[in-house]
Amino acid sequence: MVRDFLSLAGSSILHRKIRSWLTVIGVFIGITAVVALISVGLGLERTINDEVANVFGVDTFMLTARGVFGGRRANQGFSLYALDLEWLRAQEGVATAAAVRQRTAFVQGPPGPDGRANQGFLPVTGLSPELVTSFASFIGSLELEPGGRLFDADEILVAVLGRDVATRLGVGVGQDIVVAGDGDRPELTLAVVGILAASDAGSSRQGFTSGMAASGDTIYVPYDTMELLWGPADDVLITLVRTVPGRDVDEVAAQVEAALRARGSEVSAVTYSDISSAIGTVTTTVSAFLAGIAGISLLVGGVGVMNTMYTSVLERTREIGIMKAVGAKNRHILSIFLIESGLMGLVGGIVGTLLGLGISSVASAIIGRIFQVRVAVVASPALIVVTLLGAFALGAVAGLWPARRAAKLPVVDALRYE
Amino acid sequence: MPLLDLKGITKVYSLGKTSVHALRGLDLTVEKGEIVALMGPSGSGKSTLMHILGALDTPTEGVAMLDGQPLPRLSEDQLADLRGRKVGFVFQTFNLVPTLSAQRNVELPMIFLGVPKRKRAVRARELLAKVGLADRAHHKPNELSGGERQRVAIARALANDPEIILADEPTGNLDTEMGAAILDLLRRLSKEDGKTVVLVTHDPEAARIADRIVHIRDGRVLEETVHG
Repeated sequence: MVRDFLSLAGSSILHRKIRSWLTVIGVFIGITAVVALISVGLGLERTINDEVANVFGVDTFMLTARGVFGGRRANQGFSLYALDLEWLRAQEGVATAAAVRQRTAFVQGPPGPDGRANQGFLPVTGLSPELVTSFASFIGSLELEPGGRLFDADEILVAVLGRDVATRLGVGVGQDIVVAGDGDRPELTLAVVGILAASDAGSSRQGFTSGMAASGDTIYVPYDTMELLWGPADDVLITLVRTVPGRDVDEVAAQVEAALRARGSEVSAVTYSDISSAIGTVTTTVSAFLAGIAGISLLVGGVGVMNTMYTSVLERTREIGIMKAVGAKNRHILSIFLIESGLMGLVGGIVGTLLGLGISSVASAIIGRIFQVRVAVVASPALIVVTLLGAFALGAVAGLWPARRAAKLPVVDALRYE
Repeated sequence: MPLLDLKGITKVYSLGKTSVHALRGLDLTVEKGEIVALMGPSGSGKSTLMHILGALDTPTEGVAMLDGQPLPRLSEDQLADLRGRKVGFVFQTFNLVPTLSAQRNVELPMIFLGVPKRKRAVRARELLAKVGLADRAHHKPNELSGGERQRVAIARALANDPEIILADEPTGNLDTEMGAAILDLLRRLSKEDGKTVVLVTHDPEAARIADRIVHIRDGRVLEETVHG
């Protein structure tokens, strides 16, 4: 009987082609918007996750001052913490680790032609050599000016300068700078082995330190040099830890974090899954918000269906009377009208889903071109099924009131209706 | 036992504060296979009577029995079921569903009784052939003449092989020739197939096919005349 009702509802929809299509358009605009937004959202989330996995590596975690990723101190920039890198490397499950220390130091350039040297307080960043050897994906491609190089693992009295610093100090590759550490430690003379190329729009912006080239006002020195200047690290900005292959990174991260806390260090271990879920929360929230706004147009579409069905009931009052006169029960009439409005919702859903997926793939391509990444196009089967069921339900719910009205029409009055 | 047995039927319509007595204690019996014409001026209550006879409406007071079943005690769904099985309606304005073909219109009563699709189609084509419209099965009502539409309506009325055909001014919208053909069809249904036909009309020409004419005025039976 459902098939017969489907066909009765279908004849009625086709009989009122223009109105039915207008109603369907009202539905599919909303569906298109929702599907496109959710789909782009899912695509971006996957793309970001892939990028993070690519750069971060699923076997790696990082140590930051507590709260950096927790949100509480997120607005205060990165905090620094104390760390014994050798102790960390000896921990069970840790394959290798690299850290970044940060200080501000009094720095002096070489004497100029007038015999006076440029000097000033400048940020000095200490980098473990492992950053380059083991965590190259974090560094991305650092572009140096011709003639320069990064420092090697066993070097100490060397520095790589940001472009701005080099200019300010009036120093070039092969010349020396003098850096003063703690008051009771000797200042060090460091040979400048490389100068970072000034970043331009065309340079590669991949990697964790994509901002490094841009921060041309920093002096980069080997990690061990920092110790000579300031002693044991109590100024670590970030530590990257790679786990032994086969070990569960979350487990090792938790152990290390607990051990560090036991030593009095307020440090948080952040793994790929932490970052991934943080990103997920953000993208889900944004998608849900946008989809919610798009949902308003769905609501409007639903009201459109209701209006059409209500008009249809009025228009077909006599027809309802006829059907009742020849034996239709109230529930038959209710079913026919519900199926009719549900069908309009469903057709709107199908058209909207196809259009939405189309728009999302175009949007992904555009976003990808703007940000120079490959944005994944996600056509989630769950999304499609839920959307289609939802569209049918939207139509049916919107048609419920008119359909009940139709079903309850007294047969004699309906037959008399002109 | 008469097919239709009405005793003391009263029907009151409430219109706001006033109430209208459409039927005032009417008695009527209709036997199986009879053709009965209900005649009377407008407002005499004959349409209301037909609604009650056809289980479309229930009386305010009185006993109405259709094939031994007391109508006022039935639920809305039971009434619908009864209409579907026992009663075939033919209306002055044909009342076909405009979106459906002639065949689908004839199938309609069978759909609500759950008759399987194939059986339905065969039956609908048989009935259309019976009323002389075998070649018009796939036409929509607006592609048919008035007489053809009324014949489709008669075919539809016969769909579930009902006991009784209730025809409300079936010739009212047709020219004389078409009207005569429809009346002939109704007469044959009674004489050849044994259907009971109740005809509401104020056309004496139409009443001529009746075995019995019941005159109604002011909600009561005024007189009955039996045709020879």
